[in-house]
Amino acid sequence: MNARKSKTSFLKEGKVVFKENIRDVGMYIALFAIMLFFTIATKGIFISSRNISNLINQTGYIAVLAVGMTLVIIIRHIDLSVGFLSGFLGAIAAIVMVSWHMPTGVSIVVTLSLGVLAGLLTGFLVAQMKIPAFVATLAGWLGYRGALQLATMAKGTIIIPNAAFNAISNGYLPDIPNIKIFPGVHKVTLILGVLLAIAFIINAIRERRSTRSYKFKVLPIEFFILKLALMSVLIGGITWVLSGYRGLSWTAVIVFSVSLLYNFMMTQTFLGRHIYAVGGNPEAAELSGISVKKITYVVFGSMGMLAGLSGIMFASRLQSATTTAGQLFELDAIAAAFVGGASATGGVGKVTGSIIGAFVMMSLTNGMNLMGIDISFQYIVRATVLAGAVIFDVAARSKKD
Amino acid sequence: MEEKVPIVEMRNIKKSFGGVHALRGIDLKLQRNEVLGLVGDNAAGKSTLMKVLSGAHKLDEGEIFIEGKRVHITSPWDARRIGIEMVYQDLALADNLDVSANVFLGREVASTKLGPVSVMNKHHMEIETKRLIDRLKIDIPSVRSVVERLSGGQRQAIAIARATAFNNKVTIMDEPTAALSVAAISKVLDLVRELKAQGNSIIIISHRMEDIYQVSDRMIVMRHGCKVRDCPVVGDLDEFREQVVAYIIGARDDFAERGVN
Repeated sequence: MNARKSKTSFLKEGKVVFKENIRDVGMYIALFAIMLFFTIATKGIFISSRNISNLINQTGYIAVLAVGMTLVIIIRHIDLSVGFLSGFLGAIAAIVMVSWHMPTGVSIVVTLSLGVLAGLLTGFLVAQMKIPAFVATLAGWLGYRGALQLATMAKGTIIIPNAAFNAISNGYLPDIPNIKIFPGVHKVTLILGVLLAIAFIINAIRERRSTRSYKFKVLPIEFFILKLALMSVLIGGITWVLSGYRGLSWTAVIVFSVSLLYNFMMTQTFLGRHIYAVGGNPEAAELSGISVKKITYVVFGSMGMLAGLSGIMFASRLQSATTTAGQLFELDAIAAAFVGGASATGGVGKVTGSIIGAFVMMSLTNGMNLMGIDISFQYIVRATVLAGAVIFDVAARSKKD
Repeated sequence: MEEKVPIVEMRNIKKSFGGVHALRGIDLKLQRNEVLGLVGDNAAGKSTLMKVLSGAHKLDEGEIFIEGKRVHITSPWDARRIGIEMVYQDLALADNLDVSANVFLGREVASTKLGPVSVMNKHHMEIETKRLIDRLKIDIPSVRSVVERLSGGQRQAIAIARATAFNNKVTIMDEPTAALSVAAISKVLDLVRELKAQGNSIIIISHRMEDIYQVSDRMIVMRHGCKVRDCPVVGDLDEFREQVVAYIIGARDDFAERGVN
């Protein structure tokens, strides 16, 4: 009888935990369901090491844009210019290497710096000139499209011969040679995965302890363990799958680092809190001594830098700069941010959410491509998922207890 | 006995918007640990006067003294540095942040500073917020509750607590009971009494005579940008109300001999 009692209370608590975290939990469930569906529909091809590795490399250049876009959406703006800005900056990266004969490092620094400048220009139009971001960045969309065509006019497509540059989106972490155990498995990836899982668990336990010591509410212990177990399985599963092919790609490392950095910034620093405050209530933020202008500059500047990074990643992936690079990237990034739980009314959104959102959208494309579904249907399916995610979000938000 | 130096003294404050004289030479004194009620009809100039004090409006003429020292207030940030906090009617809180984040908004406490990057000491801020909330007997589920999910009364209490959290000298409340339920109003008034008991000096703007009557030591009635009455709050409520209404509608004016320009 005692056992039954604890079981019902477990279920009850489960319901509460689920309801409180429905928006976060829902996203992970959606990603899991989509992956499961495609795995079954493609008879396992989707989940194969090679495909997952490819999926991550495909998502990378959208995911970094989605991170920047999340911040822009949090402060109640939008940036339509980043797609062609990314394409244009990718072309600049190529020109610096091919026409100016500069090394890869210089090209990357130049590209990212130009990205920041472009972002600050948008920031100037929005914060200083008070032009609605939609209009200012629509102008940017047109302008950068023109700039991209100018940059690639001479040759059409600029082929990039630099091996180091091309490794950014095609290369993988090197493995330790001469280890006999687990033949055919990427050991460094496996070790990193285990370390990551351990770091995650230690961090979670430490956080829980300190929270408890201040007598704040924590997740019931069963769910805490469940959460740890699920995350460990997830990290373990991904590293296992990846180590079966060529291990962690440099793209995966970049995306992971960018999301870690931005997640830290948004949750732990003054700047992150001020960005959320400006999104939640600009007047209150201003009265509290936070400069809304400064925050707007910083957010668009970071968006521009990430557009540069995205451009580098895409050019590296194609090993060339093309006249159509970056087309529709901005819409994919915006969709990823909204699927990931950002809200157009401002103040709400998470970096991790947008990364998951990017993977949701790219998994759909990847999976439907594997199934050979016509491109026109693909757009409709992705539209449905985007609309569905936002409807779910709005419904979950309006349910006040 | 020497005369006490008022914590706030405003002398002959004048402010016009275009051709409209919003304030026509107002004098106001607030003593330490006093609750001053500011009443008057719409457009009597109450909010304008307080916005001058809190830095939201610049004055055209007149002088402001804080603890006897002349000050020049040109921005809300200035006012805050001097120790003047204003609880605005509706733009006080960031709804998407939790209680602790709101209390410390713009005054976050750092655990480490790495160049331009300041890392928050969240636990310190949460503990301090908890202490503040407990000290003021404010009833909320947790300092980690997102403000959006709290009731109107709770939100107002947080906004007031936030204004008084950092040893300020004066707290100005602009219609703190507007748009609240009866139960919530009484809680906010309790909070004002608690703040007074703990030594705060407060100016309250309100339309509701009952509120002023219940918590104020003294009150100032304004009409058309002028002060028409300045007196202690005494007597019973009905009498008080009748009297105040007479001043508000202009039937009586204690300062009439000074003349309206």
